[in-house]
Amino acid sequence: MSVGKEFIKGMVRENPVFRLLLGLCPVLATSSSVMNAIGMGVSVIFVLVASNTLVSLLRNFIPPKIRIPIYISIIATFVTVVDLIMAGFFPDLHKSLGMFIKLIVVNCIILGRAEAFASKNNTFYAIIDGLGMGIGFTFSMIIIATIRELLGNGTWLNMPVFGTQFEPVLIFVLAPGAFITLGFIIGGMNWLDHRRAAIATKS
Amino acid sequence: MKEIFKFALVLGLVTGIAACALGVVNQITQPRIALQQQLALNAGLYRVLPGSENGCIIEQHLDGLNMYYTGYLNRDTTDFIGYALPVESKGYSSTIRTLVGLDSLRNIISLKILFQQETPGLGTKCEEVRPGETEPWFQYQFKGLFVPDVALDKNGGSIHCITGATITSAAITDAVKESSVKLFSEL
Amino acid sequence: MDIQNLLIISVGAIFISNFVLSRFLGLCPYIGVSKQLDSALGMGMAVVFVMSIASLFTWMIYYYFLEPSSANLIFKLFRNQLDSPPDLRYLQTIAFILVIATLVQFVEMVIQKTSPGLYRSLGIYLPLITTNCAVLGVAFLNIDSDYNFIESIVNGFASGVGFTLALVLMAGLREKLEMANVPKAMKGAPIAFIMAGLMSLAFMGFSGLSFG
Repeated sequence: MSVGKEFIKGMVRENPVFRLLLGLCPVLATSSSVMNAIGMGVSVIFVLVASNTLVSLLRNFIPPKIRIPIYISIIATFVTVVDLIMAGFFPDLHKSLGMFIKLIVVNCIILGRAEAFASKNNTFYAIIDGLGMGIGFTFSMIIIATIRELLGNGTWLNMPVFGTQFEPVLIFVLAPGAFITLGFIIGGMNWLDHRRAAIATKS
Repeated sequence: MKEIFKFALVLGLVTGIAACALGVVNQITQPRIALQQQLALNAGLYRVLPGSENGCIIEQHLDGLNMYYTGYLNRDTTDFIGYALPVESKGYSSTIRTLVGLDSLRNIISLKILFQQETPGLGTKCEEVRPGETEPWFQYQFKGLFVPDVALDKNGGSIHCITGATITSAAITDAVKESSVKLFSEL
Repeated sequence: MDIQNLLIISVGAIFISNFVLSRFLGLCPYIGVSKQLDSALGMGMAVVFVMSIASLFTWMIYYYFLEPSSANLIFKLFRNQLDSPPDLRYLQTIAFILVIATLVQFVEMVIQKTSPGLYRSLGIYLPLITTNCAVLGVAFLNIDSDYNFIESIVNGFASGVGFTLALVLMAGLREKLEMANVPKAMKGAPIAFIMAGLMSLAFMGFSGLSFG
């Protein structure tokens, strides 16, 4: 097991959003602007790394039969910490992410990593895995948010990009735009895979 | 059976520790959160009662209304500026909280939306600032209006609706008018 | 009881702000369990059931234990030691998710014991529901919208129905889609998302429904 490989896998090969289709609710709901995407991403990284660390540290003490409720308690605790800190220090971000900060609890990525990775590996690798997956998640969110904010609002990180002549395609910041953007990105990644596979078989 | 007790004990212990940890974090962050809320409210109050930042604002209570504020230019409560009234209305997807500043002649001094979570790109335009302008255009429309005249353009008033967000526009406009009228009738 | 108000809440939760298509909640099962109509219906029923009782229990937990009000039971019990009701709202997330997890487990056990037939059709979906953000989402929404006890349960039930509606429509479309000639790269999830986008667009039409 190499550190680099564990770190990188979350970005592309096992990208939680585009490949594993996990944790989609916040991805679609909070990707209408890049700022929100970054806020959500950083919160998820924090919760993921913290819960992976604790689950891995306690992995030999948690009775297997009640592991899921214990994981959920651990995750819920860290989520509340993020929620409180964000309300105290970043009130605007807290306001626009709203309920979705608390809903990180049920984000399948976090419970999934606790169950599939952290409970079986040592703490160091669990942290690396959490970081990799978290950054992969954030990265995917930023990609979707970039497309949606650019097309739907004509801005990037609230900076105007296209000038005043550009008429925003409103649909992209609304709910349908989120689904369609994600659909085309996953389709595009599949297409690249097929091409790569075709080239590999030819040579 | 013994196992169940052991599990219950472990789970209880875990949640107990979690609750204690959260209690500590809550103790630390609560003053910050309260401060942020106070700052947001103050910013709104100074906005709708211009001049009050160097004077003073006093919280008032009336029987029929929850509360309102009165603002003065001076700290010794002389030179009355006007009333600031918190208004809540049910928007399209959230409760919109607005602060409206009123002078004693029943004119709106200014309007400030404190909280809304309306549809991004539609309802959220109630806080949109157009390029080259300094104030949100929707809220700016209320400035200087005589309270009984407040109405959307489709109802014969002068407030332009936000395109695609009729419910949001109507919710804010109606609630502002209704609450202001109520305030003046009970003063 | 104000029937009209409950009707408005229901129509709002099912059509106007549909849980899946407008609030983006419960997407994992929406994409994962919408390949066949039968399983979509089973999942939907299980979600309606769990969401209704979860709304009931989380509302009671919030109102009687977490919220600093005179109805707070902790305050009533320790009236001598406390001068004001404790504000335990920061425990909301952990309390709600544990209640929902316990509830799902309990429902599973009861169904298994009492109705093996129902268990066979719903059983496999129940464990998935704990991590369905729609259930926790409806619990938070009830609190955020200041719904009372009855309104919360109605909202929970109607939101579940809205979820089922979206899921069943999607499953019907995807069964038909098996016959269609979709580009290879877009097969499966990508085309499902694009269809969801179009459905969401159609559901936006309901936003014209307003209640004055």
